[in-house]
Amino acid sequence: MDEINTNVSRRRFLQATGVTGAATAAAVVGIPGTGMEATSAEAQTARAKPNTVITKNICHQCPARCGIDVYTTDGRVHAIYGTADHPISNGKLCPKGPLGTYVLYDPDRWRGPMKRTNPSKGRDEDPGFVPISWDEALDTVAGRLNNLRDAGESHRFALLYGRGWGASCAGLHGAFGQLYGSPNVAIGHSSMCSDGSIISKKMVEGNAAYNSYDYNNTNYILMFGVGFLEAFRPYNNNMQVWGHIRGRKTPKTRVTAVDVHMNTTLAASDRALLIKPGRDGALALAIAHVILAEGLWEKSFVGDFDDGVNRFVPGQDVPVAATAQPVPNSTSVDQEANLPQEPSLDSPEGGTVVPLDALVYDDEPADGPVPNVATGRFNERWVHGLVEWWNIELKDRSPEWAAELTDIPAETIRTVAREFGTTRPAMAIYERGAHAHSNGIYNGMAIHSLNALVGAFYAKGGMMGQMGPSYGPMPADANDYMDDWAQNGNWKDFPRIDKKGHEDGYLMANNMMQDVGPNHLAGDPYKLDTMMFYLTNPIWTAPNGQVWEEALKDVFIIDTSPFPSETGHYADLILPDHTYLERLQDSPTYPFQGFPMTQLRVPAIEPIHDTKYYGDVLIEIGKRINGPMGEYYRELGDTENVLRHLAEGFRADPGDNGVNDFESWKEKGVWYKRRYIYRQIGGTFYKWDGTDYSIEMTPEEVKQIVFPTPSGKFEFRSGLMEQNSDWIAEKTGRDPANLMFPIWEEPVHHGGGDLHLVTPKVALHAEGRGHNIPMVIAHLQPTIGGRGQAFCEIHPDTARARNISDGDRIKITSDVGSVEVTARYFQGVRPDTIVLPMEYGHWAAGRWSKAVPTEHAGEATVNVSDRITGQANYYSSKVNVTKA
Amino acid sequence: MAKWGMVIDLETCTGCQACTTACAMENNRLPGENWQDVLFYSEGEYPHLNLSWLPRPCMQCENPSCVSVCPTKATYVDEGTGVVLVDWNKCIGCKYCMVACPYGVRFYMDEAPVVQPDVKATYPGDGKRTWNPPFKMPDEYEDASKGIGIQPKGVVSKCTFCYHKISQAPEGVADLDEDNPETKEFTPACVRVCAPKSRFFGDLDNPDSYVNQLIADKGGVRLKEETGNKPKVYYLSGGGSPVVPGNRSRRS
Repeated sequence: MDEINTNVSRRRFLQATGVTGAATAAAVVGIPGTGMEATSAEAQTARAKPNTVITKNICHQCPARCGIDVYTTDGRVHAIYGTADHPISNGKLCPKGPLGTYVLYDPDRWRGPMKRTNPSKGRDEDPGFVPISWDEALDTVAGRLNNLRDAGESHRFALLYGRGWGASCAGLHGAFGQLYGSPNVAIGHSSMCSDGSIISKKMVEGNAAYNSYDYNNTNYILMFGVGFLEAFRPYNNNMQVWGHIRGRKTPKTRVTAVDVHMNTTLAASDRALLIKPGRDGALALAIAHVILAEGLWEKSFVGDFDDGVNRFVPGQDVPVAATAQPVPNSTSVDQEANLPQEPSLDSPEGGTVVPLDALVYDDEPADGPVPNVATGRFNERWVHGLVEWWNIELKDRSPEWAAELTDIPAETIRTVAREFGTTRPAMAIYERGAHAHSNGIYNGMAIHSLNALVGAFYAKGGMMGQMGPSYGPMPADANDYMDDWAQNGNWKDFPRIDKKGHEDGYLMANNMMQDVGPNHLAGDPYKLDTMMFYLTNPIWTAPNGQVWEEALKDVFIIDTSPFPSETGHYADLILPDHTYLERLQDSPTYPFQGFPMTQLRVPAIEPIHDTKYYGDVLIEIGKRINGPMGEYYRELGDTENVLRHLAEGFRADPGDNGVNDFESWKEKGVWYKRRYIYRQIGGTFYKWDGTDYSIEMTPEEVKQIVFPTPSGKFEFRSGLMEQNSDWIAEKTGRDPANLMFPIWEEPVHHGGGDLHLVTPKVALHAEGRGHNIPMVIAHLQPTIGGRGQAFCEIHPDTARARNISDGDRIKITSDVGSVEVTARYFQGVRPDTIVLPMEYGHWAAGRWSKAVPTEHAGEATVNVSDRITGQANYYSSKVNVTKA
Repeated sequence: MAKWGMVIDLETCTGCQACTTACAMENNRLPGENWQDVLFYSEGEYPHLNLSWLPRPCMQCENPSCVSVCPTKATYVDEGTGVVLVDWNKCIGCKYCMVACPYGVRFYMDEAPVVQPDVKATYPGDGKRTWNPPFKMPDEYEDASKGIGIQPKGVVSKCTFCYHKISQAPEGVADLDEDNPETKEFTPACVRVCAPKSRFFGDLDNPDSYVNQLIADKGGVRLKEETGNKPKVYYLSGGGSPVVPGNRSRRS
């Protein structure tokens, strides 16, 4: 049976197509006073006006969460534009945004719940899906879960999710796992996303999160592998920022961008640096070296030698005396810096602290009163371990040293360092290009440390943390519904299937989804019984997904995607979600500009097919679980009830746009309050007093909010790394004497080939569904003419040396697999690297993507991860390339 | 009577193609039927490659060669707006206009589709239209006499400056700006979505329009002035004077 064209009962078809009513709480076009009613006389008389209704929603095609206006006329959704009163979209869209109607009307969507009839699973097996009722589907899931629980094996149920949106979907996972009793509910995809960024920031800054950014006020941006004008979230707003900082702002913001190939970001910047893959950390260390050696660091934030004489001399240690000095005349900082060093990592096994006697902290109080005399000692303000970092690492990290590693000329590095070090405000940003490598933790720590050197944290034009929305309480408290199994069951003795937080696995990681398949296949730590998936398709997206194809043959699989996918091809049950234009779903913002914001998807039309919102699927399954857990979900009722309770929080704290309850939230689509309440000015942290940043924050507050590190400062010497140094040293062979600093470490490349394989997302990569949107396929890769397929960028010399002509089919081979694609000569890619956008190669996800003649880079990508961050090293494989 | 024109600022354009996709969805164009295309160029060698791009809509010429050559008078300049349109009731699909257009912005879509399988087969048309996507524009906007909506077989299509929007604009408005709530709904799709705000749309006959200010302040130039077509699309490329001087103001 062709699952793409699954048979649909006539009744269901009629149900689906007969529904044309527009949703409530919508605005009709032609609002008096807006001018929209004032059409020309000719038009008024000659042509009737369409009866168009606009509903609010949030785009689903990337994580940015742009507010959108959805235009529906006569039950037909025909246009999508940015919502004008929305802080991210501001009425604009990226190239993906308008294509949402293709997602809604995708002819390959599932029509309703289905079960598998063919017990054999595999790429070439026809699942034999047949339609079933929602009751049968939900009862089947609940029956399995109840049986597992009764048998004392509830840990063998795992729920894997990708793009969680808010409290009414992924936000329900925590309580589900807590009440049901499984450490594997839920496992997020963050390690296959960008945990290399989150965890490396956590190690030095303390906050385990992406930063929010004040781009509009910055004067210099240094970008490492971020694809700022392709894939970096929020892309739409990034481009709005670009128009401002590069076209209209005075002075014009200067941009240096680092990547391995020429893309629109590099082309639009002032300077493009094509770096050897995995060497971004070396470049960052050399920039730090120059900033210190030339005295360019931000003294008000970092501190200074007490006599003002710079002792950072290349190749030389700063005298030890300079490191052993309390901070004179800065008792508040001094007190706070003398901190207990208890483990504060997420992992319960957080490791033990090893105080290193060899290194004396500047912030340890000396005995007796401290004379305030200039002695050439370095007084640290909001950083910790700078002099030690210099002595242990930076003093030898000259531009000449980095030039050898990175292929970027020393003079260029020096120029960039001077620009970055002398332009304020400045910021350095990084994502996967820099950290999806074996040394990603250190590349990330080194780059983020540049932000401390120039005082970017919480400064105007700098970077901050993200505030959350003022949600009301849930309809019920899960803690009141825990039975004995939930509280004391032996499921608590089992590690997670992905060994996140486990000594044998990834003690310090947030998630390890890429290892779920391989671990299940090996039965280590155990075999799963049932897996449910929400907005993730790891059989395809995981590196070396072929292992998952084998692994998922003997486990019961529930997929909830609205669309066919490779993971869905292995499913025993399909419980299809609505598409986003049919959903009522909340979504607090990702880190954006720091101020709190949460948004709402309002259905533009009734569901086209017999689908059910994932949050309601979860609640309905919960209701069917025996005992108090079922009670809890009956108390929740449904997701609309949950959202109504959350919106109660707006009554006491109305948004800037007047949103103060559920109905006004639906009407406007977003609740936000533009004021960000923390600001660092000249080395002092302030809180907003209602009219200005005037309330000085105590060191305790700074430690709690800004730098939740052991020292309460930005830590070049990472206390969190140090607390786990035994484990890190044992598992990675790193040196306990320096593993806690941003150090240089040569990247390790697996795969057995001679060319780096880099597989970026491009601007039109619509998350989860772009591959099956014809309009995306027509425009995916404009820089080298990739229309209708994605080409592999290869340098002409590299190609000719392999007897490959422009346009030839080529074979990309690593130790784990081989894929075939079309080569395109490109002078913009490094000769030691090939670049193939991650988008195509789907074999069970829709008619259009299946027809694209580009195979999937993931099948030649080795599944290796950064042992500290857990980041899947998507860009660290080396491959051989031959003519196909 | 407005003389609508567009200004595109290449200094801030990020080459994202949102203009392309927004246009295609607003006007129900087929994949590859890029009324509003973005052309990419690269020259030079590693490591110093010059990658650049040029967004290219129909130039909506005041003296359009496509109109001059049309044997059936199917393509014409609309009096009220100055927009060059195609009357699909008269077009015979001879493609003479496509040959005559100096800018390559006219399309004939009855040949091999850019993306397989053909979306026209997935969403089959009804005879009057070559395809019938479920997200088609409201019936009230469609107008074959102006080349708006989904074309019948065998005709040429082109950018209409979103005629169905701009023709509804209040009389006498100087600029159609998406950031102005009064004019948002009348602004062409490519202008409305442009995230870096690299596009501006206004009345070239109104000396107070912002487009005229931008052209003057930032040295707007038109492409291929030597053809005498007098495009109504101007490009800015940074700075106060044009990088490549236009010849519209040449004194001779």
